[in-house]
Amino acid sequence: MTESERSGTEADIRPSWVRAWDAMVALVGTDLSDGHVDWGADRVEEGTVRRYVEPLELGSPLHHDEAAARAHGFDGLVAPWTSLISYTLPPMWGPGQDPLFASADRDAQPVRSPIANPEEGPAPRTRGFFATDMEIDFLRPVVVGERLGRRGRRLLSCTPKETRVGRGAFATFESEIVSDRGDVIARVRNTSYAYDPHPHPHPDREEDR
Amino acid sequence: MTDARTKRVTDVAVGEEIPPVAFPLTVYRLVMAAGANRDFNSIHHNTEHARATGAPEMYANTLFLMGMWERAVRDWMGPGGTFTAIRGFRMRRFNTAGRTTTVRGRVMAVDRANGLVTLGLRCEDDDGVTVGPGEVDVRLPPSDHDHTPSDPDLATRG
Repeated sequence: MTESERSGTEADIRPSWVRAWDAMVALVGTDLSDGHVDWGADRVEEGTVRRYVEPLELGSPLHHDEAAARAHGFDGLVAPWTSLISYTLPPMWGPGQDPLFASADRDAQPVRSPIANPEEGPAPRTRGFFATDMEIDFLRPVVVGERLGRRGRRLLSCTPKETRVGRGAFATFESEIVSDRGDVIARVRNTSYAYDPHPHPHPDREEDR
Repeated sequence: MTDARTKRVTDVAVGEEIPPVAFPLTVYRLVMAAGANRDFNSIHHNTEHARATGAPEMYANTLFLMGMWERAVRDWMGPGGTFTAIRGFRMRRFNTAGRTTTVRGRVMAVDRANGLVTLGLRCEDDDGVTVGPGEVDVRLPPSDHDHTPSDPDLATRG
């Protein structure tokens, strides 16, 4: 007689890597943050706007010419709408903090990073992580001089899945982008896949996402 | 105030294609993008690290790809439009260094009464869709005839 037969319960035959996500799945619907605002490292600045648009070759005068932006009805030089999340990222390092770079190994990672799956909750630690989906509602334009922050990290879904690149889970979170002017300027829903890579990955594509 | 380059909602028709924009993805460009948008995840600028995580090569990050959609839509609508939403931005395949990602799109819906236009967008490479298809909502100014200094669209900006 098996243990499940003795206890009268149904055996959990799910793989251990799926069960490892149970605590996270149980939190679907809850905010994993404490409600504070994580403010970005820098205010929206003319120089960082320019750097953002350079690799995009985005030449709209809204992002290059304050007078032209004002002539089009905006309150100053405008941040690209897709750049707003960037302005919510905290600094990588600051005075008094421990060093980021503790190893000279060529591919060593920094000790910490604001984009490395923060506030994971009880999710298993994984070696791989990338974003898969993004949805944003833009409530108003943002102009040079504003400081932006991210508030909230409500878990909307968590689905363990094995893909071509590894085993892990897709998780969707909802958060707000706020301005130091005191209002919410965007709402974000983003999905990421946190996973442990297969031992010998050789995928050409990621159609199983 | 808008200028002659700004598309107005009365200029737009369902089915209109927006001009495609091609983005050749070099290592140089991916490094510039990572530095600019501060997504320094090594999968976006380090081939060996990307391969260790299961990708075939370093690949473009999310903000850079979303920026490609913004660039394509902005080029089409001019400086007078504003973005109100991005939906369905699903990154289906890696946009890797050494390939070219092209953004294509067309007008899906027009709400002339409210100045709202929905565009269908996608990124493609030589093997097909890499991102999307998703949607971008924009607000365009009314016609020249309708435009006045008290235009509520302009009054709510900034």
